[in-house]
Amino acid sequence: MVELVPSLLRQELDRLAAEGQRIDGRGQFEGREVHLEVDCLYNAEGSAKVVWGDTIIYAGVKFEIRTPWPDRPTQGSLMCGAELRPVAHRKYEPGPPSPESIELGRVVDRGIRESGCIDMDELCIVPGEKVWGVMIDIHVLSDGGNIFDAAGLAAIAALRTAVVPAERFDVGEDHTLKVNGTPIMASFKRAGGRFVYDPSEEEELGGDERIHITLGDEGHLHSLQKGLKGVFTPDEFAEILAVAEQKCSELREMVAEKEGN
Amino acid sequence: MSEGQVGAEQRLVTPGMVIGPSSGKRAGTGTIAENNEFIATRLGWLNEQNDVVSVLPINSAYMPRSGDLVIGFVAEVRNNLWFFDVNGPFQALLPMSLAPWKVEFGSTRQHLGIGDAALARIQEVDETHNMVLTMKGVGLRRLNEGAVVSIPVNLIDTIRGQNNAMLSRIRDATNCRIIVGDNGRVWIHGDAADMHVARQLIQTLNEEGHKNTFEGAVEALENKRGEH
Amino acid sequence: MGGYGDVKLLREDGKRLDGRAIDEMRPVTIEAGVLPAADGSAMVTHGLNVAVAAVYGPMEAHPRKIQRQDRAVIDVRYNMAPFSTGDRIRPGFNRRSREISKVTAESLESVVLVERYPRSKIRVEIEILAAEAGTRCAGITAASVALADAGIPMRDMIVGVASGKIEDTVVLDLDKAEDNYGQADLPVGILPNTGEIAFLQMDGDLSIDEYNLAMEYNHKAAKEIHEIMVDALKRRYEGGEA
Repeated sequence: MVELVPSLLRQELDRLAAEGQRIDGRGQFEGREVHLEVDCLYNAEGSAKVVWGDTIIYAGVKFEIRTPWPDRPTQGSLMCGAELRPVAHRKYEPGPPSPESIELGRVVDRGIRESGCIDMDELCIVPGEKVWGVMIDIHVLSDGGNIFDAAGLAAIAALRTAVVPAERFDVGEDHTLKVNGTPIMASFKRAGGRFVYDPSEEEELGGDERIHITLGDEGHLHSLQKGLKGVFTPDEFAEILAVAEQKCSELREMVAEKEGN
Repeated sequence: MSEGQVGAEQRLVTPGMVIGPSSGKRAGTGTIAENNEFIATRLGWLNEQNDVVSVLPINSAYMPRSGDLVIGFVAEVRNNLWFFDVNGPFQALLPMSLAPWKVEFGSTRQHLGIGDAALARIQEVDETHNMVLTMKGVGLRRLNEGAVVSIPVNLIDTIRGQNNAMLSRIRDATNCRIIVGDNGRVWIHGDAADMHVARQLIQTLNEEGHKNTFEGAVEALENKRGEH
Repeated sequence: MGGYGDVKLLREDGKRLDGRAIDEMRPVTIEAGVLPAADGSAMVTHGLNVAVAAVYGPMEAHPRKIQRQDRAVIDVRYNMAPFSTGDRIRPGFNRRSREISKVTAESLESVVLVERYPRSKIRVEIEILAAEAGTRCAGITAASVALADAGIPMRDMIVGVASGKIEDTVVLDLDKAEDNYGQADLPVGILPNTGEIAFLQMDGDLSIDEYNLAMEYNHKAAKEIHEIMVDALKRRYEGGEA
């Protein structure tokens, strides 16, 4: 369903931007409160729940044993998918995965995969015969804006706390999945002509293009995505990249804290 | 505060709950009579007045009635009419003959485009929820500035108060122009700082309106503003 | 039902493997209003099951061919999250979820005052986040609380409960092992006020006497769960009463 964009909303976003303000009173690069919970679902080998403002997302990790590709006999696989099911918002309709669902899953997937935090060789059980396939599923329950960052956070937190269910598959002892890094996403949206961090539902409705940046522990870029209509300047990108670095390290610390518990 | 929300004997009922014997009383909204008993059909506060037993719902969808003042957004434009989203289950139709301007066939878009907001009245609703709007009437107009925020329709009485007393206080305290539509949409207009205050107050209403704390929030704001 | 095999489901002391008595339910918790984006919502945990329901509407029913001129249609989707079971479930509708969605919708239509909203639809989304036998019942319970939370008029709520048979013994509320290796499962949706039944399925093997006993357990459990449902709605709204 295409949502109706009220003219007054766009007008107000313009006016607020000119005064350096946001509808909900946040600063331009101020995020909402984030709550992270890990290991919260029975049956998932790793799980996380993220409550990010009015957005609620679960991620669950499952394992399967599969035959490796012939040209990569020692490498397992990683897949991350997302479903924007109609539970999450009035605007989502039933049916096959929408382009938006697929984009969300793939952007999160790239950030995790390209960070190299999962060593595919570590997923080998018997070379040429058996490897682990790791699947992260992102389940959006409530879309209150900025589902990308919440999905990315839920996915990596679920992955980092996952236990490989080797006993159930009769291939050894259960062990924690080795994850060498915590890639984190930071998203920006053009609202009222300038970029804001962590867009609210209203800013998403009345704004223009969005940019998603995934950074690894060393501050390297692992995935970038520009979505929706609009163009931006190199200077604008430099500014939000600097913000992303700070936001990502804060969230990375939050993940580390939860793992410690 | 709306009646029924005061007093210690305030009772929350859930759908299917037996309220009591029906003898000598009549079933009001949110209740049905079955086997000489009243049964609640809505989640809400039990209310008994003049031998009518009803439930004041905590949440309810907007169900348009003729005469309602509504704030709508244009969802679709044809050559001779507009379709409005009025927060109800169905879109409402505004024929060009009921617009406040002299509209030529085919020039509807020059007056109101998609996404534009207007203050209108519901002229007519039929039994299958088809609705006709009118913009002929005092104060009915296109809303060219300000912002539209939503509140649950059951809190409209709370924000207005008796004879709009609460609304006047809110207007004064926030220094904003405010129009409350019967469809759960509230138009606010003022400078950015004042609108932010108004939005926060409405946010408080949305979160706590079913409790008795809203008037306190308005009072706190009045006191704070009074100091300046 | 997996059939009565050599798996022991009852202990020497007559209790079940998880220590429950034969007429004892798993712990149930309910929270109303958990999803900010929805018009009404609820989360139910029943044992290790986690079911979340969201309600949207009433809204215009479309495509137009599903519209009813004299009433609303209830559009239910029961869906299991990919990570909700032992082996990952491929996303998307399957035959099982379609059937459960259909009969759940029909039972909810039996209590919602659908004639109030001609040509409309009320969307009920049930998401199972963790499954440990009994998800359709947890889903019905969650959907009822979510509908009440959304302010949808109903003549009663529906409580989802199940009893079954293990080792020739009728027991209340089968857990996963009992569901897999038991002899019968009887999930029902009960209207707590009248005791009427809006949802009924059964598979396995039950004598008429066993059926009657299983239903007796179900009615008893429905009363208990109903109290928790009412309490969840009260907790959401009554907390700040002056």
